[in-house]
Amino acid sequence: MTSIKERKIYDKISMEEVRIRLEEIFGANNVSNKQVDLYPYSYDMTECTKQMPDFVVIPENKKQLVELVKFCNNHVIPIVPYISGNNVGGLTIPERGGIIVDFGKKMNKIIYVDDNMMYALLEPGVTFGQLEKYLENHFPHLRYSYPFAPPYAGVVGNVILSGMNNMSCKLGSMGDSINGIEVITADGEIARIGSCFYGKDEADVKSWWSRYPMPDLMGLFINWQGMSGLVTKCAVQLWPKPNFKKVYLAATFGLTDVASILREAGRTDVVDDISAVSVEVVKMSVEVPEPTKYPGEPDFAALLVISAKTKKQFEAKKEIVEETVDYLNENGKNIILADVDEFSKLFNLRVRCYLDLPAALLSLVEYSGLTWFGSYAPSHKLEELIEKVDKIFHKHNIPAFIYMKSMKSSHYSIFRPIMRYRKFKGGEEERYHSCLEEITDTCISLGCIPYKTPIWMTAKLREKINPGWLKLFEKIKNCMDPNNIFNPGRWNT
Amino acid sequence: MVIVNSGIVGKEFLEMALERCIKCSTCKYGYKNYEKSCPSGEHFLFESYWASGRIRTIRGVLLGDLEWSKELIDPIFACTTCGACSDSCQAPHADFIVEMIEALRELAVQHIGPVKNQEMLVSRCIENCNPYGEVNSTNEDLKVKYDLPDKAEWVYFIGCTSNYRQQSLRDATLRFLKKTRINFTLIDEHCCTSPMIRTGQLSIVNEYMNYNIAEIKKTEANKIITSCAGCYRTLVKDFKKYGVPHNFEVYHSLELVEKLLDKQKIEFGSEFNHTVTYHDPCHLGRHMGIYELPRKIYRKIPGLKLVEMKRNRNFAWCCGAGGGVKIGYPDWAIDISKERLEEAKQTGASIVTSTCPFCKTNLQDASDKYNFDFQVLDLMEILDQLEINFKK
Repeated sequence: MTSIKERKIYDKISMEEVRIRLEEIFGANNVSNKQVDLYPYSYDMTECTKQMPDFVVIPENKKQLVELVKFCNNHVIPIVPYISGNNVGGLTIPERGGIIVDFGKKMNKIIYVDDNMMYALLEPGVTFGQLEKYLENHFPHLRYSYPFAPPYAGVVGNVILSGMNNMSCKLGSMGDSINGIEVITADGEIARIGSCFYGKDEADVKSWWSRYPMPDLMGLFINWQGMSGLVTKCAVQLWPKPNFKKVYLAATFGLTDVASILREAGRTDVVDDISAVSVEVVKMSVEVPEPTKYPGEPDFAALLVISAKTKKQFEAKKEIVEETVDYLNENGKNIILADVDEFSKLFNLRVRCYLDLPAALLSLVEYSGLTWFGSYAPSHKLEELIEKVDKIFHKHNIPAFIYMKSMKSSHYSIFRPIMRYRKFKGGEEERYHSCLEEITDTCISLGCIPYKTPIWMTAKLREKINPGWLKLFEKIKNCMDPNNIFNPGRWNT
Repeated sequence: MVIVNSGIVGKEFLEMALERCIKCSTCKYGYKNYEKSCPSGEHFLFESYWASGRIRTIRGVLLGDLEWSKELIDPIFACTTCGACSDSCQAPHADFIVEMIEALRELAVQHIGPVKNQEMLVSRCIENCNPYGEVNSTNEDLKVKYDLPDKAEWVYFIGCTSNYRQQSLRDATLRFLKKTRINFTLIDEHCCTSPMIRTGQLSIVNEYMNYNIAEIKKTEANKIITSCAGCYRTLVKDFKKYGVPHNFEVYHSLELVEKLLDKQKIEFGSEFNHTVTYHDPCHLGRHMGIYELPRKIYRKIPGLKLVEMKRNRNFAWCCGAGGGVKIGYPDWAIDISKERLEEAKQTGASIVTSTCPFCKTNLQDASDKYNFDFQVLDLMEILDQLEINFKK
């Protein structure tokens, strides 16, 4: 059964009174407390424990949300923001019950795209697929960056949780590309952060062009998992679409050779994106359900994306990448470089899902469960991480699924062991969680920092973090949200 | 370990709900075109009204997280089972999402019943052999009128909607078949069972399927032709699923038209000078994969200008009539069609055409209610207006 933790929310105000107020704010059709409507919000694809919300509401504008926040703050009722629930960290599971605010259904407008200053101003519910189509139709010369995620994943959720993208080697974290946000704080005040901060009234849509140089209050909301306020608008940077683009496939032989290409290709400063996956994942993407690696096969496959404005620039970038691989091979590595378009012709067209983001990723959607240790990792520890995590996968008899990226010209990396599993098959969830927990302990001990963290993982983190950081974090949380109404329970608050 | 009652026809699809779907939400709109595709989700909005939410409802009731109550009725039955979710989903269970929803309905009928009025689909059948409650037509009068034999190579399975609500489509088809000189006849039909299957009401499905097969066998026919997309899907796909396999060749009327055109057995002797837009019926398109064939025929009609709606083929917005929605949620059904007609209006067409009497009915109802002033015609009705020369 779905667990319902002991709640004291409705001691002072009845559920019926809450329902009436919510219907006043949002309209009866946009509020539900029916169990059948609440249930889909009670769990996600991970093994995080189910918790039922008490209500779900579908907002249409920030005025409604201001009223909601004031009401909830007054009565100490938790608010949990939700876009599509694809975060793989249980972040929208209402740990302390309360009200799910489903942004994905109505607050999903692309408010404005500024061609000159190259940014898009978005409501929280906008998805990657939606933005891609909009740009394709209206601004085909601009591009956004897309993560290794389904097309229905929310853009704003991803950027404010520091997700990654398919230009990460150039840009780094998605959080770095935010120009500004509008946010409702616990007292019901609306704050605009970034260059949009001028003016008492609504900000001009053309004023969302920079995050700096004022004190960077953005940090009070980025990576806070909805614990410090409700974001109602967000401006994200766009980039010119290049005239030339090429994707290389680098097959690496030897368990850890992939680490060198991740680092070295990143350091060339000419690669948009480089991501690598275990060979088992390549097989998953051509629809082998339970793949294994056979002797003689490469251990990893990396995709290197380069793009250029001119033919000369493109040729130069190609030369740099190819010379980098030659250099690595001359120095004892075993890497084969291929044209991924040619490679993909060997398989059915669905393999292109992986290449043409945003797309449904076949390797992720096989079963009813998916979980991971998603982390920012120190690049110099990649070899050790790969070796240790590969062993853990094999020990638990689970197909190795390691996903890695080089971020911001190799300043740091992403290290993400992933597991697909049958969520409702007896004992499977426990088996996979046990593997994930072992991976988590190992990776944290090597310095990895998980992101989009479930609460069982932040509990482990807290044991390692310096007390000063934790005290400051608690002080800020208490100051920002004294009644702990915003997604309570996250980071064990 | 969840045990699903082995008496449930859709048992394997209920079990599939536990094995598959991470709720990635790719099912929520057209794959890679990102257009709205789910009438139910777009209208009711909560997660429980989208395909992935319904899969969660299956899990909820199987795992005991959700208790059966009347609250479950709308999320389970307010869905046209148009299959847009199936088309968009890229996961291994994609092709079975409609089956999963129908299995959930089968289970729901046992616990809480269907939505209001849908039970009449069965009670009217029990009384009159058709879900409209009309006095059963044995079709003997039509056999006399069109001089049809008792034994024949083909049976024209009219279907209840054509026989009791869209007689002009029925008559156009009969005239066409007669002109082709194929050897066909009619039977005293019972409902094909599609409306009952779509709403999870299976009590008389097997009996009706067996009855229809026995009646067809009496004619010694080996081919069935129907002008109804719903009957077609049921005859081709569902008879086997519900334990009544048969060896008849099943044709939708447009397949016969195409065959005759290809073999140059027919040629058009007049023009149809209208701009026409084609609405893909879900039961023919997404359920059976037939998209190009009707377009091929329309393009061969002299004078006819075929224009496409923004969402077409596998991305077509449902008319709103299927899955028991027309009887269970009549106002909403028409509003779904309204959205389709707004799209049709943008094409500049004066005629909306389809190949399903159910779509025709609902699109016409919406056109009338919202004063769209469209003429809604089935392909067979367009052909009926043409001079057609048949060659031996």
